[in-house]
Amino acid sequence: MGDDPDHPMEPEAEPTLDIDRHLKYWKMCLQAPLPNHYLSNEGVRMTLAYFIVNSIRILTPAPTETTPSTSPNPKPPLLPPTEHRRLRQWVLSHQQPGGGFAPSSTLLSPPTTTPSSGGSAAWEAETGASEGGTTGTAVANLPATLFALQLLALLADEGEEGAARAFEGVDRVQTLRWLRRLQRGDGSFGEGVSWMPGKGWFIGGGYDMRYCYIAVAVRWMLRGDVTEGGEGWVEDWDTVGLERYILGSQTYDGGFAGSSQEEPHAGYAYCAIAALSLLDRPLTNSTPFHPNKILHSGIRNMPALLHWLASRQFVYLEPPPGNPDDTEEEEDEDNFLLPARLADLSLSPAAERHVACNGRCNKVADTCYTWWVGAALANLGRRELVDWPASRRFLLDKMAHRIGGFSKHPGGPPDVYHGCFGLAALAVMGEPGLAEFDCALAVPVATVRVIEKARAALVEAGRGQGAELAKGAVDMGLAMRGAKPAWLSTVGW
Amino acid sequence: MPPKGKAANKTKASETTKPTQTTTTTTAAASSSRTTPPTTTTKPPPPPTTTPTPETVLARSEARYAAARPHDALLRQKGGSLSAALSHPEQTAWLAARIASRIAARPALSSGSSTAAGAGAVGKVACGGGVKTLREVWKIVNEGGLGLRVARVRKSPPGGEVGVREFEAKWERKVVLGCLEVESRCFRTRWERERRGEVEELTGELVVVTEQEAFEETRRRKEMAALRKELYGGGVGKEGKLAMDPEWDDVEPVVLEEPEGALAAISYSADYAEAMAYLRAVMQAKEHSPRCLRLTEHIIGMNPAHYTVWLFRAANVFALKLPIPDEMAWLNGVALENLKNYQIWHHRHLLVENYHPLIAADPSAVAEFAAAERSFLQKILAEDTKNYHVWSYRSYLVGKFNLFNDGEELAAIEAMIDDDVRNNSAWSHRFFLGFSNPDYATPGSAATEADPGVPAVVIDREVEYARDKIRLAPQNQSGWNYLRGVLVKGGRKLATVEEFASGFVKGLGEGEEAEDVQSTHALDLLAEIYAEKGDREKAELSLTRLGQKWDRIRVGYWEWRRKCLEVPA
Repeated sequence: MGDDPDHPMEPEAEPTLDIDRHLKYWKMCLQAPLPNHYLSNEGVRMTLAYFIVNSIRILTPAPTETTPSTSPNPKPPLLPPTEHRRLRQWVLSHQQPGGGFAPSSTLLSPPTTTPSSGGSAAWEAETGASEGGTTGTAVANLPATLFALQLLALLADEGEEGAARAFEGVDRVQTLRWLRRLQRGDGSFGEGVSWMPGKGWFIGGGYDMRYCYIAVAVRWMLRGDVTEGGEGWVEDWDTVGLERYILGSQTYDGGFAGSSQEEPHAGYAYCAIAALSLLDRPLTNSTPFHPNKILHSGIRNMPALLHWLASRQFVYLEPPPGNPDDTEEEEDEDNFLLPARLADLSLSPAAERHVACNGRCNKVADTCYTWWVGAALANLGRRELVDWPASRRFLLDKMAHRIGGFSKHPGGPPDVYHGCFGLAALAVMGEPGLAEFDCALAVPVATVRVIEKARAALVEAGRGQGAELAKGAVDMGLAMRGAKPAWLSTVGW
Repeated sequence: MPPKGKAANKTKASETTKPTQTTTTTTAAASSSRTTPPTTTTKPPPPPTTTPTPETVLARSEARYAAARPHDALLRQKGGSLSAALSHPEQTAWLAARIASRIAARPALSSGSSTAAGAGAVGKVACGGGVKTLREVWKIVNEGGLGLRVARVRKSPPGGEVGVREFEAKWERKVVLGCLEVESRCFRTRWERERRGEVEELTGELVVVTEQEAFEETRRRKEMAALRKELYGGGVGKEGKLAMDPEWDDVEPVVLEEPEGALAAISYSADYAEAMAYLRAVMQAKEHSPRCLRLTEHIIGMNPAHYTVWLFRAANVFALKLPIPDEMAWLNGVALENLKNYQIWHHRHLLVENYHPLIAADPSAVAEFAAAERSFLQKILAEDTKNYHVWSYRSYLVGKFNLFNDGEELAAIEAMIDDDVRNNSAWSHRFFLGFSNPDYATPGSAATEADPGVPAVVIDREVEYARDKIRLAPQNQSGWNYLRGVLVKGGRKLATVEEFASGFVKGLGEGEEAEDVQSTHALDLLAEIYAEKGDREKAELSLTRLGQKWDRIRVGYWEWRRKCLEVPA
């Protein structure tokens, strides 16, 4: 199957995406425990859960959210609505009293049965007392927090009411406060904050553009339009500082790295671009294609960035036959080697049937980079720089596995990370039958709508709580002194 | 209580009665238990040698029942009423046996502590007669050899009949386990007494548990675990490595109950589950100790990618004020075994961040540290030349210890590029060494902009270097990107390399036969040079030919570049 070198000019049928086969793969990942080779991801189970649920949502769009020419899907849903609440409960069980979510169930302490403990945790959360009091290794983690919020939205009950209640139980204020503590002096973000004996508070996680992106995404999902002094207002972190940090991380060849002094990387480039895009994204009915003032006026050298992103594509050539043992062991070996003379390649258009992406210059093909590069260009409004027909063929001919899912390397086993981003790449490029996909928030557009409503409801609930509190204070004041407490008018009551 | 000696004396007795055939589940640990064998006192008596040995437990217990209660057996065999089935003396014997067994069932009698009057009273209750009647009963029972207590007939297990040998082997293991448990309890008591600082009753000296004792206890628990598993089936988190280790006796592992339907559960080993249960316990208790450090090592051995475990390890290193070089030495081994791991480098970064202030004032210590680190980095990069984490760490190290002017650093990078001219990581590092050197680089100068601080000689040197390497591999983009980056840094026109780039492009636009492009990157750069010079026609031709022939997969990009020419910047 595939290329026939003897008849290079013969047109070949385009491959199709076997949605049912992929669903079968995800059904397995959803319903059976993941095999032991996922153990190295045991510390980031929330991330794996996001890959699984997100993929199922991409594959099973509601009728209204599909791109045109879709077939009806009459089968019972993999995630039946009756299960949503229970799964959201599981996600919420990872929420930490000091804000944020734990990345893995194995880090959770079992719920204590003594009635007082719940109250004290709530008190800690309320007052932020845990900030000074806890000296242990904190388990709340930034990526886990984003994926938990995305999961809550992906698992929302149906309808307006369901969307509004998707974030019910999220401690918005505490999470935003915690988020502030993850920012470093240079504007960048770490992934967690913990206490180091004899050293003090320590923002862990290295200099990594991923955390910067995630911090902006969490901010966009939770912060809302509360103004200073308003109920539920939390002081914002230094957005200008982060912007400066991101913009300063462009490298000499146009890409982005954890800092300008390191090698650029497609994943980091995506994160930098999407973060800048989310910084000034509108809060409702939003798309990644808003004016993007920060992104477009901020990037120091946009032509170099586009050049670098476009250069991530390369003609994927089959590894030379002869020694099948080698391909197994040397999966990192070059699969982009060009013929000695360029002219030899350019004579044969069939050789260009498959286009892969790498994450760095002179590195090998990997499914996820078709997503990182494609989505980065989509965020920049430059989808046309992707050779999509050939990239799509590469994903479907070379990376789609016969049991469903996508692999990292050609011929490898599928995994949830590459499985999800293979689908995301297809969705972002408008693959028929898949959900319309948001290239900055990495969830279906329908889920973005849920997030917007859930955020609004959460902000509103915060105001309501304050109102109750204030009403209680008024009543108390009237009972005690027969007059409304003076301070209440200063907070606008 | 010293059970060890007592048990040792019984070794031979048990060996002699040991069944020759054991079940297939007999483990090595169980067989090693022969050094601490069971007592034989509670063992059921061996069946009479004259009758054939029953094959199954059921058969044996039925045979025993029949031997102890011959009349009952007869009754069951014949069926019908008592008077019809048995003769008169048989009926008397049957009745006597019943009465005797009811008396024997009374603890007052069986314990032997009762008085004769007490016995009489019980006898009265039991059979309604006086002491005389009772005497008669005993006589009949003794003469008839009737059983006082009769084992109930054992019900067969659902799986079928249990063989006698198998049953006895199992029984023996239960006894062995019992002995081990007693010994283990003795050990725990001594361990606890040592902790409380108690003294030996005889000598008045402090209770001291020797290393040998602790070692034996660990071995004992392994044996017990194996026996328990064999006898009763295994249990997660209760019989793992840590539960075996007396050092962890005072920690109650926090076992996780996953809610049903939790997402992304991973099937992991019982050892991992156990270790995480202990980790939760010590993290909750905020304990920092050598054993916590060992626990993190144990977990990292199973899962080196667990971010939180690494953080907890760092907290322990700092709390215990461990020498950072020791931790680094340990880390080297872990890093070499786990090349793709991110957390290892984060940990290393954290260690160096805290080590730096200790040696920063001592140039020779810094040099020594830098040399050791470089040698390690070379070793690990030899395994994986483009490892992103290693290169990130390397640039951090150079900045932290100001190794920009360290000739060996630049030499090491040159060697790597010589080795593989397409190693873009090495190229990036070279750019960093050349253009972030605080001796001349303007602080805060962006990588994509000119820096007047960089001496011309550095620019010249790097341009020359890039050109040399491009000649080796014209279609290697690393070299071209580097060349362009250097020119921008130096504030030089791209046109300064026009002649060089033109060497890789022949007869552009002069027909299929004449046109030859050795490097699309050269043509790409030429397009930019032409645009820079205002030669739009040639720029357009270059971009068109790239999209049409030489780099068709990027036709969208070249077209976009062509459109950009229409709107001059």
